[in-house]
Amino acid sequence: MRIERRLRQPWWLVVVVPVVSVAVAFVLSGFVLFLTGHPPLKSFHRLLDAAFIANGALSETVVSATPLVFTGLAAAVAFRMNLFNIGGEGQLYAGAITGATVGLLIGGSPSPLIFAGMIAAGAVGGALLAAIPAILRAFFSTNEIITSLMLNYVVALIMEYLIFDSHSYLRDTSGFEANVFPQGKTLSDKASWSSLSIHGLVLPLGFLLAIGVAVLVWVLYARTRFGFEVQVIGDSARAGRYAGMRTRRKILAVMCLSGGIAGIGGASQIGDFRHQLDPRGLRDASYGYTGIVVAALARYNPFAVVVVALLLGGLTNAGFTLQGADFPAGLVGMMQGLILFCALGGELFVRYRVRFAW
Amino acid sequence: MGEVHALLGENGAGKTTLSKILTGLYRPDEGEIVLFGHAVEFSSPRAALDAGIAMVHQHFRLVSPFTVAENVVLGDHRDVGRSFLLRQREIEARVGELSQRYGLAVDPRARIWQLSVGEQQRVEILKALYQDARILILDEPTAVLTPQEAEALFETIRAMAADGRTVIFISHKLHEVKAVADRVTVLRRGKSVATVPAADSTPRSLAALMVGHDLDAGRRPTDRGTVGEPVLDLAGVCADGDRGVPAVNDVSLTIRGGEIVGVAGVAGNGQRELAETIVGMRPLTSGTVEVCGRRLSGGDPREAISAGVAYVPEDRLGTGVAPGLSIASNIVLKSYRAAPVSTGPMLRFGRIRDLARGVIDRYDVRTSGPNVPAWQLSGGNLQKVVLAREFSGEPAVLVAASPTRGLDVAGIETVHSYLRDAASTGVGVLLISEDLDEILALADRVAVMYEGSVVGERDVETATVEELGLMMAGAGGED
Amino acid sequence: MVNNSLIVVVLSSGVLYGTPLLYAALGEVLAERSGVLNLGVEGMMLMGAVMGFWTVERVHGPTPLILAASIGVAALAGAVMAAIHAFLVITLRANQIVSGLALTIFAGAAGLSSYLGNDLQLAGKPAKHQFQEIFPTSWQDLPVVGPIIFGQSLLVYASWVCVVLVALYLTRTRLGLNLRAVGESPAAADAMGVNVSRYRYAHTLVGGAFAGVGGAAFSLSITPQWVDGLTQGAGWIAIALVIFAFWRPTLCLLGAYFFGAFTALPFALQGHGVTVAPELFQTLPYVATIVALVLVSSRAARLRFGAPAALGLPYVREER
Repeated sequence: MRIERRLRQPWWLVVVVPVVSVAVAFVLSGFVLFLTGHPPLKSFHRLLDAAFIANGALSETVVSATPLVFTGLAAAVAFRMNLFNIGGEGQLYAGAITGATVGLLIGGSPSPLIFAGMIAAGAVGGALLAAIPAILRAFFSTNEIITSLMLNYVVALIMEYLIFDSHSYLRDTSGFEANVFPQGKTLSDKASWSSLSIHGLVLPLGFLLAIGVAVLVWVLYARTRFGFEVQVIGDSARAGRYAGMRTRRKILAVMCLSGGIAGIGGASQIGDFRHQLDPRGLRDASYGYTGIVVAALARYNPFAVVVVALLLGGLTNAGFTLQGADFPAGLVGMMQGLILFCALGGELFVRYRVRFAW
Repeated sequence: MGEVHALLGENGAGKTTLSKILTGLYRPDEGEIVLFGHAVEFSSPRAALDAGIAMVHQHFRLVSPFTVAENVVLGDHRDVGRSFLLRQREIEARVGELSQRYGLAVDPRARIWQLSVGEQQRVEILKALYQDARILILDEPTAVLTPQEAEALFETIRAMAADGRTVIFISHKLHEVKAVADRVTVLRRGKSVATVPAADSTPRSLAALMVGHDLDAGRRPTDRGTVGEPVLDLAGVCADGDRGVPAVNDVSLTIRGGEIVGVAGVAGNGQRELAETIVGMRPLTSGTVEVCGRRLSGGDPREAISAGVAYVPEDRLGTGVAPGLSIASNIVLKSYRAAPVSTGPMLRFGRIRDLARGVIDRYDVRTSGPNVPAWQLSGGNLQKVVLAREFSGEPAVLVAASPTRGLDVAGIETVHSYLRDAASTGVGVLLISEDLDEILALADRVAVMYEGSVVGERDVETATVEELGLMMAGAGGED
Repeated sequence: MVNNSLIVVVLSSGVLYGTPLLYAALGEVLAERSGVLNLGVEGMMLMGAVMGFWTVERVHGPTPLILAASIGVAALAGAVMAAIHAFLVITLRANQIVSGLALTIFAGAAGLSSYLGNDLQLAGKPAKHQFQEIFPTSWQDLPVVGPIIFGQSLLVYASWVCVVLVALYLTRTRLGLNLRAVGESPAAADAMGVNVSRYRYAHTLVGGAFAGVGGAAFSLSITPQWVDGLTQGAGWIAIALVIFAFWRPTLCLLGAYFFGAFTALPFALQGHGVTVAPELFQTLPYVATIVALVLVSSRAARLRFGAPAALGLPYVREER
């Protein structure tokens, strides 16, 4: 087998390869289903139905997709500069914590103010957390993959502590059950984020916000000096330095941007959907890690992130709806992994021409 | 057998490619290799090694943190040390034996990063001898040696030939080929043009074969334009190398506008670090760098750029250019911050494209368009892009490090003419090069670096190769 | 009694909790020395945990045989996962970081290991056969060394043997030399006739096998049940551990027990009546990892004991 680097990448290859990858992944998943005694075609049909077709399914899919757009954008923003921010998970939690806190504090103010406050708080929370691996990387050359990842575990434990083991502001201490079944304090009705209804399809504020962020990110990266610098440094850090670019400042800026976006995703979880700080729910959902899959599949393009998020959101949504004895748990994670494997393998064909010598 | 055969040709003639085919790194598209009477095909470097062919590359294939002995014995599957366990002492003894026999003095226990470039080359040769190579290919071996070290190498080559081994000596330096080879094969544009006995040839006849027409070698008369004010002033500059050890020791040098100052020396004596310090890519540990009277605090490339320092780095593709980005992007790599390339925070792509097209036309860059990724350009064209970009900034100082490395004759000519043009417009040019001939052809003055210090400065008109060679080896010069 | 003191308890539990880290780290050292960064360790450990547990549940026979078989199965499971990663990054030249993450998602909690564990109904019961202490109780009661050294299971003692073997392999054998060359300078190794791909494949698979065994240590010794995601990030700590240990097996031993001690600390403290919120103590291993990593990444340290130079980069012979 001979491998030669392609001189020109036909534009259609960039679209066809991911699509084919997803198809191959489905075929492989079908195979696994078959081997373990679940009828593949029927399972897929149920999956598709529960994800997009059934009544109200699409709205539910949008609900599942919203956090994935945020975390996907967060990952894409950082990965484009070869900064592997795996801490999207923790940065989302941080945004949820700060967002919930502000939402509770100013719960009496007019709604738009609360929304703005929560969004800002979420962004700040995520950005501050991301600043830690950013500083360690920029000034101490410490590998950001591991530091950001470790912080995921730390923040998850802090969240648990806030609700399950302490009597913090965020914990619901009213009512008889509060001591036996700890849970977060519910936000006021005014703090419940609005949504837009189009022909029965419900688009939460978070989703619309996410799309707006995607547009902003695209403009930033494709059209501004900032984006140019990110491109150069991502391609060759030495060339960036040679050109007089401030690589350390860029690392900080990009990581904090990434964390901030994930943080807004966390605030959206509270404002749009959960209305209280729900540690177990957030942990089980793994939005941060799934976001990385989304970003990789979307090849770090902000608009593709939205599309892929809807696809994976549909998968997740179907997973919830169909959960039960019939429908295997863990299938969703497996399929996501398979899709990613196939996309990674497919990358080869985009960048190289493969010749087989017979 | 027992012959020293030279492969002569200019850069790009195909010498390196041919040798890579012989050693199993590349596959030939056509033709055949007949070795000791049998047709052979090498599917991998191991196959070539097994057949008795070894190569000493221009860029050494050594594992830096390993010792000499470890490098020599790497991958070996023959007699000593063939067993599963490494027998340190036996290996070191054998290495010592070989190095005695062929005059390749080196300590088997030393780690590669501790050795000088010349010593590293000896390790490469030892590797080949250890594997009992019958045919050794040396690719431009004297590029990294002082004239005196080159002599020692020739001794080694003669010893190997006397032992019945065959040495293929690849070079583009005519006088060396005459000095050591028995026969010479000249390659031009990938074809073998002639095979002649060395004794019957003259440098002129060989040069004619190489280029296809008569070539006037020798020093070009330099156009002495008016020399202006000092544009670059280095006083007592010290800087540390990558390993934290001082690499630049108390260097003082002045360059005036309109002159070309060459820095000669064998690679690894601090030249790269000096260049990086001047342009701000390496912090100063002491001393001052002044550009047109303005003192630079050092360690900040942007400061140097805004002061008017242009830099053509040795590492074209990895530093001078972002390889994955388009030519257009690379052209505005330093100018993107201001108008007309950008307005405020937004880039103006139309302008960028126009600028790129202008550069491609004016400098005759061979490419299909401004959006082509930079890694696809040939060395010469890439260098044109880099030079074009650096000049467009209207610099006061141009630091050029090994600018013609790996280029063919046409490319070298182009670079030389740009450097001369720059000097004639009043730019002060600092030319760092391992090729003494190049410096003598271009520069007004030459400074020799050895172990991080400038051991001597001479006017090119009056300098001699012997004197400079001694300084490069640390044996001559004043302090 | 000194054996009940906090220090002794923490140290002996530290050895226990550090053992999966040690296995995974040894495997990762081998993979990374060949130049392959394997971030899928967590996923491989979870696969080893679930498949090892399954063997113990479903296969019948005398305990030692079953346990041996389960370790074999766990190693195999880890190696199979590693094979996917190896194929993607070595042959298909995919980005090593994303591939490793994909593996963790694929095989991890809410992935294949969860699927298998639930499908095969492995949850909610303790392992039928477990790795127990093998020395007589009289030895275990010796002061200090008793619990720490003699109170451990075969898995722990085997890990010590592995450390010695891997260390010797790397420094004293020809294969080890070739391996180190592949990781430092694949071009040099290739030019000397060493098959870079083959070494990378082999060592990535072995790395996966070790990780699988590490996972089995959880389900067959520490927990000793199967729970979804029972490794709780141990795989990631193991990766950090390799950096912390400068890619040397002997230092991996020390590092593993160091982090193991941090993991054991909250439980030990609870046993001693210290009532502080356990969650905050549970953050200690993770915080310690970050601190250790920062110290190790300082310029001075990196200059002297750096990573294998070619780590994370695909090797293509014809690419210049």
